[in-house]
Amino acid sequence: MVDPSTAKRLVQVIHDNLPTPVPGRRPVHTIGIGVKGKFIASDVARTYCIAEHFDGAPVEVSIRFSNGLGGLEQHDGWSDVRGMAVRFHLKDGTASDLIATTLGEFFVRNVDDFFKFSEIAKREPFKRRHWLLKILDFLQLKIPQRNPYPGETQSIDEGALRYANQHRFSQLGIFQVGLIGAPESYARASYHAVHTFWVTAPDGVRRPVRFYWQPVAGVNNTDPKAELRDKYLFDELKERLKRWPARFMLMMTIGEEGDALDDCTKPWPGTRLRIAMGTLTLTGIPEGAEQAEAGERISFNPCRLAPGIEASNDPILEARLGAYEVSREMRGGCPFKWSADNA
Amino acid sequence: MPDNVGVMDRFVDRLPETAFFKFVAARILVPFWAWWTPVKPLPGGPHPSFQHGDNVQCMMNLIMPLKDKSPVGRAHAAMAIAQHKDAIFAGLNNVGTVHFARFVIVGDNICMFSVYDGDFTNYIRDFIATIGEVFDAVVGLVEGGEEITPCEKNVEAFIQWVHEHDLYQVPDTPTDFLRDQERLNGDKAVAPVNDDLTLLPRKMVLQLRANANVSLGSGYRAYPGYSVAQVRKQLGLGW
Repeated sequence: MVDPSTAKRLVQVIHDNLPTPVPGRRPVHTIGIGVKGKFIASDVARTYCIAEHFDGAPVEVSIRFSNGLGGLEQHDGWSDVRGMAVRFHLKDGTASDLIATTLGEFFVRNVDDFFKFSEIAKREPFKRRHWLLKILDFLQLKIPQRNPYPGETQSIDEGALRYANQHRFSQLGIFQVGLIGAPESYARASYHAVHTFWVTAPDGVRRPVRFYWQPVAGVNNTDPKAELRDKYLFDELKERLKRWPARFMLMMTIGEEGDALDDCTKPWPGTRLRIAMGTLTLTGIPEGAEQAEAGERISFNPCRLAPGIEASNDPILEARLGAYEVSREMRGGCPFKWSADNA
Repeated sequence: MPDNVGVMDRFVDRLPETAFFKFVAARILVPFWAWWTPVKPLPGGPHPSFQHGDNVQCMMNLIMPLKDKSPVGRAHAAMAIAQHKDAIFAGLNNVGTVHFARFVIVGDNICMFSVYDGDFTNYIRDFIATIGEVFDAVVGLVEGGEEITPCEKNVEAFIQWVHEHDLYQVPDTPTDFLRDQERLNGDKAVAPVNDDLTLLPRKMVLQLRANANVSLGSGYRAYPGYSVAQVRKQLGLGW
């Protein structure tokens, strides 16, 4: 377990790298929208995991979709990681959370890596690369640094690249961030929970697994050459849900001996067994005060897990347990009982 | 776009899409970098692994250039397969670890694409034992084939030949592609590393120059992790 002072430092480092302070708000994934939904487990889910939300009965679900950037400015059209935090509401009033993003792998292995990354990948002035340098890049068969978006004056791209050049474990995650793009809709992206969890089956067998959400509508990004739009994702989702519910399949990949269980920078091969655990249906978007609760005050934690699911020893997952709580306290987020007998 | 974007900025941003740049890249830049920074072709076939999931549903993508590169040569290849259809199907049944296999003519090549379980060399050995004659008939039509036929008498050379004609399987992630190149070049990644990730496009281009035909990614599997034997047993097909 990461000690409280480290958890505070983690959150502070993130706050320190923001373009402007965001008091009372999340320091990353600041812009988000709360959505209501229902989850129904597949017929086979209960044979792999005894957690209540996999027993096949419909489960009420709260979802928060978000843009990864920290700060109050909304830039839906920018290439950015998107978040999908899901809370399964259990019968006794507790819950199980599953926090996922469009990033397939993370870029640091532990807290020390994160602090080092934060030192190197600080926000720096970001300017368009001179055309002569771009020609030089082309002559070397390199792809030049991207152009800044309108209004983008600072970026961590250069620092992140420097870090990746020195740390091979981070290269995949940082590559993915660079190529991630902007989704046409929050309902048209795949979201990965990146960490390994252990699930227990009714026969007592424990399996290491990784979860991801796959959109039934399919994955689709916007055209990066088209004119950028700063605000479209919330309205798109509202319009989409007025027409028809949007759905996601919850997929669970089972790890094998030798797979990275405690390192979220390492992918598992595509040849691993994968199980369809159930279907999430987005049913509606709360409005007004209800949206403030569902989109802002709600506080997720990747280690809030129903009996039958356990966190692995992934140091980043451990660190998130404390850091999410510190961040919740700092912004006055809604506390949540962790078990039926702790209010 | 920011206000200070000039004509040259806009021109250079569009440059890679112009016919002029494509011509310069193909005729001058790529040959120059291939000469200046030579790249070895990465070997074909699946990546070695001890893990169960990586040793079922492996892919073989065998590309064999025909000696006779005319419609008549392609017709000979088609006939060789057609004449041995029963032998091929019986042999595949007897090998027992093959999910799918098919022969395809692409341009001047006869290709065999298959999905199999277990070790590559055992797979080819089993093939030689069960349909060696078919391979002799097909390989006889292929460049360099005469040196390895009859395959029953040149088992190790035949296995090596097949491996060399099996396509390099580009990994699912760009960084695994970099790691493949580093392994081939004996890069031991002694800390601190000092890579230049912006060179990835060039490395990929030069590899595709050295290795013109490749298989992209590990491929989709509807039921990953299951062997032929498990699928047949589960479906009650009497295996």
